[in-house]
Amino acid sequence: MPELLAPIAGNVWKILIAVGDTVELDDEVIILEALKMETPIYCDDSGTITEIRVKEGDAVNEGDVLVVIG
Amino acid sequence: MSRKQTPLRPYFEKMPEIGKELREGEVRRSQENVALVRDQEKIIAREVERVKNAGIPAEKIHQRGGMTIYDRLEYLVDVGTWCPLHSLYNPTDNEEGCTGVVNGIGRIEGRWAVIIGFDNKVMAGAWIAGQAENILMVTDMAKRLNVPLVWLTNCSGVKLMEQETVYAGRRSNGAPFYRHADLNHLGIPILNGIYGTNPAGGGYQGISPTILLAHDGANIAVGGAGIVGGMNPRGHFDAETARALIDGTRSFKGKAPGRVETHFDQTAFFREVHDTEQGVLDGIKDYMRMMPAYDPVMFRVSAPAEPRLPAGDLDMLLPANQKRPYDAIQILARLTDNSEFMEYRPDYGREVFTGIAKIDGFPVAFIGNNQGIFPGYPEYAKDEYPGVGGKHYREGLIKQGEFVTLCGRDNLPIVWLQDTTGIDVGDLAEEAELLALGQSLVYSIEQTELSMMCIVLRKGTAAAHYIMCGPQANNNNAFTLGTPLTEIYVMHGETAAAASYARRLVKEEDAGNDLTPVLDKMNQMIQDYQDKSRPAYCAKSGFVDEIVPLTELRSYIKAFTCANYQNPRSITPVHQMLLPRIIKG
Repeated sequence: MPELLAPIAGNVWKILIAVGDTVELDDEVIILEALKMETPIYCDDSGTITEIRVKEGDAVNEGDVLVVIG
Repeated sequence: MSRKQTPLRPYFEKMPEIGKELREGEVRRSQENVALVRDQEKIIAREVERVKNAGIPAEKIHQRGGMTIYDRLEYLVDVGTWCPLHSLYNPTDNEEGCTGVVNGIGRIEGRWAVIIGFDNKVMAGAWIAGQAENILMVTDMAKRLNVPLVWLTNCSGVKLMEQETVYAGRRSNGAPFYRHADLNHLGIPILNGIYGTNPAGGGYQGISPTILLAHDGANIAVGGAGIVGGMNPRGHFDAETARALIDGTRSFKGKAPGRVETHFDQTAFFREVHDTEQGVLDGIKDYMRMMPAYDPVMFRVSAPAEPRLPAGDLDMLLPANQKRPYDAIQILARLTDNSEFMEYRPDYGREVFTGIAKIDGFPVAFIGNNQGIFPGYPEYAKDEYPGVGGKHYREGLIKQGEFVTLCGRDNLPIVWLQDTTGIDVGDLAEEAELLALGQSLVYSIEQTELSMMCIVLRKGTAAAHYIMCGPQANNNNAFTLGTPLTEIYVMHGETAAAASYARRLVKEEDAGNDLTPVLDKMNQMIQDYQDKSRPAYCAKSGFVDEIVPLTELRSYIKAFTCANYQNPRSITPVHQMLLPRIIKG
């Protein structure tokens, strides 16, 4: 199952999808906020969102799993 | 059999390809960004249209059988080469809505020139506030690029009701006369097509260039014939003196002095006189063909080529959301010939890219800010905080300084792609010598004789806007462009509001006062920063020389490059260049 990982440490600012949503390659799913910058997280595959492991406001570390796509 | 080739072919013919095509999903999710770019383009286009319609309607000039400045430029300039500058410049908010001159860079008969003319729809080309500065920026550009300056003079002289805004002072409307002398002294010719009545200031505007060509209805003179009453000994006007003035004006039959009968037939100041407006422009074209210009073959290192990747992608690649990072190399790939770029020290000073590309077959240097987050960088702060794109750190400043110095040695003109939030601050940054290294970059630029152009892609902020070839910090900047996403300010409005009011908030709280009035002031300050950093404001105030759609940036870069290589003052034989060897190793 493809997992989307946090490329940097930061806070989860916005979650743009919900479990069950169908997503396509390059869709924007989550926006992290760090160092006054928004870092968008894009799908690197198509599929359905099966799990969202963070919520808005969470602090994440580099490499943390954010979303699982089935 | 003869054989020919471009110089240093192994280095320049095929350089590393950069950039990649946008995927379907990237295009899809970028449509909102494209819409935001279009919104700003519409604002700018509306303002440009307003300036074009300033003064009396063009139809009125046409009914008189005349041409407007825009008609003259269209007739004069080679099709597809006109790059307007200072279109919205109006720093003192003149009621005319402009500074009364129209200018830019363009090709005439295959040769590049800086071209400027009075807008004859606006008070018959009067001197109005802000105009002198506009003209000085243009004379500076001709000097920097070493290309001819072409004037289309049609100047009624001082707007007498506002003489205090144009007449006196170091950089007033008299300064261009000396600047013309300066350009002539440097061997830069000024061609002047003269139309209409040009008394006093208009007369000196007419006489000061190198070659004068006149329309047969034109005149240039020390003073005009319009001052019929002379000095009024009473020091004021009343019914009696007004009567005398009215009668004098009605019976006035004098002709304007300095007509063709004088300055062609007698003094022979005018080289040519033409009975049509087009004839004057044809005369300028004849002279332009005599201007010094190398064949491009002299300096090209490859055949000209368009970028491999489409310019239209730029509206999708550059985020309107200023907090969003992007791949700066993807931007560069839409600007350079064949989307190629030979990068200098890519692993050192990661926050900036430096290197050589080709524009229209000529070698050109590029320097720009990378975006994103750089964990473990800079070295001096690796245990404290990560590097952020758009900021400058020790290695990046050193890299830029040494690259500029090498460009000076190799005579490579430089295009700066600026999107910067500043130079790193704090004790670690001071210990890392960033204050000195920033100034050192200014020094490195100043030590070269290179022409440079600056494009503020998004942010131009703090001292970083200066050190990356900002127009105020060197003699080398030929011109500066903004884009529909440009913002220029000393710091972000929120930062400025916090810096200005933080102590006041503490005091108010300690006194038990309501914080609302202070917060209102802070929010007003943020809004003010926002309003005064927008693209249209940047253009009006002269922070940039023009706001240009992203898709048209390459046209300006080509104009800059080709003008730069038209008649360079200094030449580095391509086979003796160092930078390509240093990069390739």
